[in-house]
This record gives sequence, structure tokens and C-alpha cells, in this order.
Amino acid sequence: MIWEPLKLSLLVVTIATLIIATVGLAIGVLLAKGTFRGKDLLASFLTLPLVLPPTVSGYYLIVILGRHGLVGEYLYQLTGWTVAFTWQAAVIAATVMSLPLMILSARAAVESVNPHFEIVSYTLGKSWLATFFLITVPLARRGILAGIVLSFTRALGEFGATFMLAGNIPGRTQTMPLAIYEAVISGDDKRAQLLALILTGVSVAAVYFTNKLSKGAIRY
Amino acid sequence: MQVAIEKRLESDKSGSFSLDVAFDAAEGITILFGDSGSGKTTTLRVIAGILKPDRGRISVGEEVYFDSTTGENLSIQKRRVGYVFQDYALFPHMTAEQNVAYGIKDHGNQGNSRSDQARAMLALFKIEHLGGRYPQNMSGGEQQRTALARALASHPAVVLLDEPLSAVDAGTRSRLLDEVVLAQEKVRIPFVYVTHNVAEASYLGARVVVLQNGRIKQIGHPSEIFDRSPDTHSVAAIEGAEREL
Repeated sequence: MIWEPLKLSLLVVTIATLIIATVGLAIGVLLAKGTFRGKDLLASFLTLPLVLPPTVSGYYLIVILGRHGLVGEYLYQLTGWTVAFTWQAAVIAATVMSLPLMILSARAAVESVNPHFEIVSYTLGKSWLATFFLITVPLARRGILAGIVLSFTRALGEFGATFMLAGNIPGRTQTMPLAIYEAVISGDDKRAQLLALILTGVSVAAVYFTNKLSKGAIRY
Repeated sequence: MQVAIEKRLESDKSGSFSLDVAFDAAEGITILFGDSGSGKTTTLRVIAGILKPDRGRISVGEEVYFDSTTGENLSIQKRRVGYVFQDYALFPHMTAEQNVAYGIKDHGNQGNSRSDQARAMLALFKIEHLGGRYPQNMSGGEQQRTALARALASHPAVVLLDEPLSAVDAGTRSRLLDEVVLAQEKVRIPFVYVTHNVAEASYLGARVVVLQNGRIKQIGHPSEIFDRSPDTHSVAAIEGAEREL
């Protein structure tokens, strides 16, 4: 009983974190290094899910991806499949809601690397990409890792947008936070307590780890 | 090396700044001398390919780095320029040997491996015993030697040094100046050395190019520029010029 939401949460959060880590790092680098028109506007837009009420973000996701949504309608006509009320919808909701944390951390981490290191690397014949992986990422690793841990935690706790786009279907889209909600309204206190404790434990561990990381107390 | 460049920079503080300089830097050490804001560092950055000039030509020997009339503009990677920053910019996550080996190209199995070449380079600067050490555990002098070794290890055509001695104390400074001279004598290529310190310039330079507000004020031997002459006070008046080693 308790394993189903836990298993689903782990699946959803693992996939979401993988997407967030790569896409968030790429966007963070673009914002840190790029010089293009509308950069500040793009940065603000990408941060929106952090400040909007999750139900509002969820509503926009439905407007875009729902069966009659801006993109969803074409997807449904082409494939007969709609993302709403599937576990993939939970992944999308978790990804969209947590991505801003990764973008902000990655951008700050990349900006904190002394640009002299990168210039020296170029003069020594290394390409932009080689320099990025040999110099920038190793030197920005603390901030990047902290961003991944924070996004992971945020994705694990994602409730509002998931509820809106994926619904609350036990065994299919019912992740841990939704299962807690369900347990509470159906009066199953034991189940609610256990699920809450597990989520709390994971979140406390993640925050503790992040603090250690940013203080440089962990060597790796 | 021949340099003739024009570049306008829009700065947010004091309107715009324009750089318009032309000089030759033959084998040996050429000093770019001037106060902050005179365009010394901008000139180095243009030579290295970090900044693109609006007009002009930069060439080293037969090789053209930049020519606005033909549209030639070599990337930083292809220019074979050694760059030594004031903060040395040694990669903190690599040992001295890894730093020096970083830019060495692997030529298959022939010849020496990259780490052999890096060790030989460290030995040239008499710091082979520091190969396994990280930059944060090295003195300022050791860091400078490692930075020079790294810049020379990839066989550059020219070496650019941006105030490499302003971060070290006066006592170490004179010793390190000799290192720069020795390094140049080993490789016999043009070194362009940026400083606002009169004593450093006099000690090192066969040629001093005096910059002010993005223009060349004077080119000559240190004795012509810094000794008492009618024009001396113009150089002496350069703000922030340090006269002591």
C-alpha cells in the first residue's frame, strides 16, 4: 500500500531530476554567459513557476498540454494520446515547478567562476565545449550539485501542479504528497503519518547535504 | 609581432573610450606602460583575440591574426598566444604538473608523453619538485613560475603578461623579474608586458610603449622615457605610476 506512491514518486522524481539537471544547467549557462536581447525577460519568465501559486502553474500546463490545449490538441489529433492524467504528466509538472531552482543555482555557480580560467584555457587551444567540461563545471560543481539537490527536493514535494495536470489516481499518478492528502481526508492517520515522516526525512537530509556543500564541508 | 588596432568601447561609466595604437614587438620584452584606463589591458585582450578590434591588423611573423581589410580573424585557440594574468589563473583543481600539461598537444606515441613534457617544463623553471602540488599550496613566486611554464609549454608565438607582479611583495618582485627575463631568453619570442610600475619597466624593457587615454604617447628605450627630460613629467604625472620596485 505504502510502496505504490513511494515507487511512483521515485520514478517521477528521478526522471524529472535528470531532465532538470541537464536542461537547467544548459539554461543557466546561457543566462550566465550569453549576451542576447531579452535575456532579463527570459530569466524572469523562467523563474515564474517559483513565485506563481502552483495551481496557477498547473492551470497553465493544462491550457498548453491538455486534450484541448494549445499543444495538447495537436498531439491528441496526431497520436490519440493525451498527457493529462498520466504519470508522464507528473514528471512534466515536477520538472516545470523545480526547474527555476536549478537555473538560478547553475547560473550563479557558473558566474562565480573567475573568467580568467576560461580565457587561459582558450589560449591553450581548448574549445569552448572542452573548457566548459574541463574547467567551468569542475569549478562550479558545488553550486551545480546544490541546485540538483534542491530541485530534487522540490520535485519530490510537488503537489499543486501535479494535482491539476496529472490528477490523483492511485497507482498511476498518485505520488507521495498526493497520497498524504488522500490519507488525511479519508481519515487514515497512520498512513498519513508514515508517508509524511518519509518525505520529511528525505527533505531534511537533502537540505543538510546542501548546506554542507555550500559551506565546503564536503570534499568530493 | 606587428600591431595596429582601433577599437571603440562603450563604457557605462564615462561615456566611450577609444583605443588607437600601433607598435612593433620584436623578439624580446616590450613594455606597455600606462595608468589604469590607458588601454594597456584592452590592447592585450585584442592581441589575444578576446576582444575584436573595429579596424586594423595584427600579425606575428608570417601569421596574420587579424586583418580588417581581408576579414581575417583567427580564433583565440588558433592564435598560439601565452597569457599570464595578474592573478596567474592557475586552475585550482589541478596540480602544477596538470596545469602545465593542460595545453600540451598529444602527438601520438612518438616523442614524449604530455606529462613528460610538463615535467621537463617544470624542471626548466626549477620547480620540478612542485609537480604534485596544488596552486593554493604554493607561494606567489612558485605560482608565477608555474603560470609561465604553462604559458610556454604549448609553444606560443607570443607571450602576453598582464601586470604579473602587482600581486607579490616588493622583495619577491625583483627576483621574479629575473625569472621573466630568463624565460624570455629561453624561448626567444616576443613578450608583451603590461605594467604601471616605472622600476619594472626600466628593469625589463628594451622598448617601452607609453599609453595614455588609448593613444601612444611615446615609444622608446626606458632611459629616454624615464630619465629627466622635458617630457619626463608627463610620464611621472601618470596617476598611480609606482617608481619603486
